[in-house]
Amino acid sequence: MLVLNNIKKRYAMGEETVNALDDVSITIQDKEFVSIVGPSGSGKSTLMNIVGCLDSADEGTYILFGTDVTHLSDRQLSEVRNKKIGFIFQGFNLLSKLTALENVELPLIYQGISANERKEKAIEALKKVGLEGRVKHRPTELSGGQQQRVAIARALVTNPSLILADEPTGNLDSKSGKEIIALLHELNDNGNTIMLITHDMSLAKEAQRSIEIRDGKIVNENIYRAGDAI
Amino acid sequence: MTFFQGLKMALLSIKYNKMRSILTMLGIIIGVLSVIVLVSIGQGAGDQVTSRIKALGSNTLTVTITSNSSKSFTASELMELAGSNGIENISPSLSSSVTTKSGSQTDEDTKIIGIYPSYESIAGDTLDYGRYITDVDIEYKLTNAVVGVDVATNLFGTTDCIGETITIENKQFTIVGVLTSTGTSSTSNDDERIIIPFSTAQRIFLQSSIKSFYVSTTSEDTITQAENKISSFLDDKLGVTSTVSSDGTTTNSSYKIYNQNELIETVASTTSTLTAMLGGIAGISLLVGGIGIMNIMLVSVSERTKEIGIRKAIGAKRKDILLQFLIESIVISLSGGVIGLLLGYICTIILSNVLSMTLAISGGLVLLAIGFSVAVGVVFGLYPANTASKLRPIEALRHD
Repeated sequence: MLVLNNIKKRYAMGEETVNALDDVSITIQDKEFVSIVGPSGSGKSTLMNIVGCLDSADEGTYILFGTDVTHLSDRQLSEVRNKKIGFIFQGFNLLSKLTALENVELPLIYQGISANERKEKAIEALKKVGLEGRVKHRPTELSGGQQQRVAIARALVTNPSLILADEPTGNLDSKSGKEIIALLHELNDNGNTIMLITHDMSLAKEAQRSIEIRDGKIVNENIYRAGDAI
Repeated sequence: MTFFQGLKMALLSIKYNKMRSILTMLGIIIGVLSVIVLVSIGQGAGDQVTSRIKALGSNTLTVTITSNSSKSFTASELMELAGSNGIENISPSLSSSVTTKSGSQTDEDTKIIGIYPSYESIAGDTLDYGRYITDVDIEYKLTNAVVGVDVATNLFGTTDCIGETITIENKQFTIVGVLTSTGTSSTSNDDERIIIPFSTAQRIFLQSSIKSFYVSTTSEDTITQAENKISSFLDDKLGVTSTVSSDGTTTNSSYKIYNQNELIETVASTTSTLTAMLGGIAGISLLVGGIGIMNIMLVSVSERTKEIGIRKAIGAKRKDILLQFLIESIVISLSGGVIGLLLGYICTIILSNVLSMTLAISGGLVLLAIGFSVAVGVVFGLYPANTASKLRPIEALRHD
């Protein structure tokens, strides 16, 4: 379970102070598929950074699967990101010099897992996203949809509690986009908690529950279908 | 992340930036190369001079008498000292510079030295032709001479000139022996000298008292003992008292005893200062190479900001990023060091042939070069690596 309590985050923009997040409280159950929707500048990226432990809140508390991560050190946050969170970005963010397999192995390297075990787990993750035939390919040799699937395999490989997808279909054609969404559903069915961040209302409806955010505040919440956990 | 992983990442990054990595390495290659070559030249020159001095015999003492007092001693009194107190051989000497003639040929500025037969073993002289000065030559003040090869070739055009006559100070001398060539050094040419009986030299140069003599000791260990014996002998004969300082050197205004080892030490310390200076100058280029590494690593960090952001997002700790970039700079500097070492080795082989001197790369020098290039990698890689590790993941991810 993820619990965000009264999260506030401010940025200084020249003379002015912008409230990127203003008193946001969200609870997400285990195995839930939640989307955060809002236009650009709404604060959803800031929210994602905080949920993803890439940034910390100015005020409020954040409890991630029983661990209070509000006041963790840089080093401890790295460990949380490594073990508990899998990231899927709009721009894929793969390392272009590494093969698909090496990209997927990367989070395991930082866990200090042995080479054999790493390879085994990475191949397994690539199988899950249907890319077992592209193991030795580099990102430039893959289509956008395939690159995003490598990124999903990388997010999956550590068996994280939370998968954080930031506009995962933003750079893809609609067919590839649909495939990626189908893959997210599959992961959710297999018991992964998923948070999808998007500006696209129709995409947001893919989730069980959608939270709309505007000017740093939650303005609306829709339940589209009952999930297993609710 | 393990060290091995970091190494793999570093090699990959070097592979993808081949040209840049090679150019960066070049700074270190040139630095290490020049340190190796210059230091080995310095050491080689030092070894050469020291071995020349040692060739004269490291267990030799040279004594010069500066006193003008009427008190003196005879050659036979001096010769009695041989065979005891660690003294092996002893020979008075009388040297001068003369012009020699044979027919129309002249040889100018030739060193002439009057000695006893025992000088042969003290100086380590060997003969190519004929014989050395003998006791008979001394006793009858014979005008026989032993010449160096240069004297022989200058006057007769051949080294085999036994029985020929030469004119020295208007006296006819018969050549009875030709010395083996010893090669030239910058200070003196032992191949251009004439050796004659001491008694004959005394008569030619009108010198009755002994002004200098050479002593060889049984071993290097008996030098002090021999020195003490000689100084007490001279104190007695010349009627002076000398003071012996704590380090064993005899101070006296009437005579001086020169010890070959002291000379070697002086030369050795001079050349080691020279070597250190050459090494230091070459070290500056290594330093410049290090700055090159720092420069390129900083470029690399800013180019790879996005990569650092991705790595951090998926769980790389500061330590991991720091290690990755540090290993990269060490790999560059160490490879440069090893290549520089190999090139330096080749250069010294070529140079030892060209300069005809022995240039050896010592184990210490190899360690120094390798150690120094690793140190350069660490020192100049630390700042860029630290910059990389401090990047904030969200900002790094936003970077294009």
